[in-house]
Amino acid sequence: MPPKSPLNWGLLPPTFLLPSSTRALLPLTPIRSIKSTNTPRPDRFAYDAKKPPLNSTTASALARKAHSIPLRTGVLALKRGMTALYNPETGKRSACTVLQLDRNEVVAHKTRDKNGYFAVQVGAGQKQAYNVTRPMLGHFATARVSPKRWVVEFKVRGEEGLGVKVGEGIGAGWFREGEWVDVRGVSRGMGFAGGMKRHGFHGQPASHGQSLMHRGMGSAGGSQGSGSRVLPGKRMAGRMGNERVTVKNLRVLQVDEANGIVVVNGCVPGPKGQIIRVQDAINKPWPKGPMKLEKIVSTPITPEVAEAIAAAA
Amino acid sequence: MATTLASTRAAASRTATYISKGTRLSSGEPLVEASRIMWTPHNKLAKNPQVLIDTMHRKLYPGLYGSDGRPTSKLEESQRIDKSWKSRVSPKKKELAERWGETLVRNKLIVYPRKGAPIKKKCPDPVSTITQTQISKLDPTGARTRLFAKSNPECARVGDILLVRLRSGDPFSGVCINIRRRGVDTAILLRGQLTRVGVEMWYKVYSPLVEGIEVVQRAAKRARRARLTYMRNVKHDRGSVENIVRVYLRQKAALGTAEGQKKKGLGGVGGGVLGGKKGGKRGKRRQV
Repeated sequence: MPPKSPLNWGLLPPTFLLPSSTRALLPLTPIRSIKSTNTPRPDRFAYDAKKPPLNSTTASALARKAHSIPLRTGVLALKRGMTALYNPETGKRSACTVLQLDRNEVVAHKTRDKNGYFAVQVGAGQKQAYNVTRPMLGHFATARVSPKRWVVEFKVRGEEGLGVKVGEGIGAGWFREGEWVDVRGVSRGMGFAGGMKRHGFHGQPASHGQSLMHRGMGSAGGSQGSGSRVLPGKRMAGRMGNERVTVKNLRVLQVDEANGIVVVNGCVPGPKGQIIRVQDAINKPWPKGPMKLEKIVSTPITPEVAEAIAAAA
Repeated sequence: MATTLASTRAAASRTATYISKGTRLSSGEPLVEASRIMWTPHNKLAKNPQVLIDTMHRKLYPGLYGSDGRPTSKLEESQRIDKSWKSRVSPKKKELAERWGETLVRNKLIVYPRKGAPIKKKCPDPVSTITQTQISKLDPTGARTRLFAKSNPECARVGDILLVRLRSGDPFSGVCINIRRRGVDTAILLRGQLTRVGVEMWYKVYSPLVEGIEVVQRAAKRARRARLTYMRNVKHDRGSVENIVRVYLRQKAALGTAEGQKKKGLGGVGGGVLGGKKGGKRGKRRQV
């Protein structure tokens, strides 16, 4: 054991051992820590002198995504089936899907301050209270809404997207004819499907000496020169469907506020009865539609209003 | 020692009374020893922890208590345990209840009633609602619906020769070999000839492009198939229906407008003279 150096009585004990009152009297010693000396440089490959380097803050992440976040909330709807609508002028027939809203109500708001982003939590349908957990019952009670079967979040760009207050109901009038929407839903599950059905592989010929191989996927990759392995992500047979599918840019053809019906052009993923998220299309100009409920809920006809109407007539 | 335990702190007195059960505590009796107080059954103490606290305090610090069992100086009140459920309700919940003017109920979450009728009651079948509004818009008189309704004994059937007048272009006529009944998407398949080539055309019955559908000739016999695809075979092909249609149109023109209006009144798509007669016969037969 090497000999210990004697204690140096001339030196003060470490600062953390000193009482806080005396600590202030000591000369300030710099605290050493790790500090980056590397200033961010523009990307070597995507160089653009005009653009500042990408930021890694949450604020800039939200700013980057802002163009693809709708201004206002969407709704939950049930897919009820398909039919067709004819344009009486042009005679054009358009196949359409009938969606129905089941008592959509806003359950909560997510804010940038509290949650890091803006979103509207919407619930739809109904559920027996005894089938709902106590935490969720409390959550619904806070919003003063009945227990909901489906609860989802719709991201909105900013605070103005929270125009519908917690506890308020959204009806089919939220959308107007001619607007564009994106719909999301879970597609029909096809079960285990082969490569031909799942990925559109062509299969093999029926004849010309073909032996016991007509619908197989064929080769899974090259041999020695290509590494003698199957590359990750190789498309193969497997479970098909039963995944979330987004269909973009469907036109709203009809709206029936009383029955909660929204008719959209074309088809929508999933079987009948599938719950579907409907929100403004991100690839089209944002609708001028209402941001708040007051805009769509007609004003009640009070005596003053009735007088005004009579005077106008 | 004239006082009894009853004059000590209220909680302690309760214990003491319990101990002296059966021995009838009287004012003349000596004070029950502090150690004896500890005999109090455990469950009793557990029920009221305040008793335990008081008792233990008295035993641990006898100097603080006088001969009468009362504390000589003012003791700091031990922290009372508030076991009431209201004390455990979160302040946020209390605030909410106050804001909405609700009373807090123990162990019970408020379940708000549903707003509005369920869609099952309001509109159980929205697809047919949309379809019906479409049909009533496209076919206000209901003539086309009747022409292809199964309930109508005089409806058009497969095997009949139909003439479809179009908004743009020439009319097309042919043998109806298929009727696809799908609400607003109801369609018919006509097989005729154009430039001596067999042609099949699908027509949507409710399409605004179809101006009118007329029954040129009823089938001589009821077809025993729903779809007469066998007519595509050379053996069964009816060939051109041009001559039959020409005769029908000539007769219709000869009968004049009066007859035409009568037909219109009957449904706007009435068949020719022959067709009407045959249809009538069939209807009678059905009623029998």
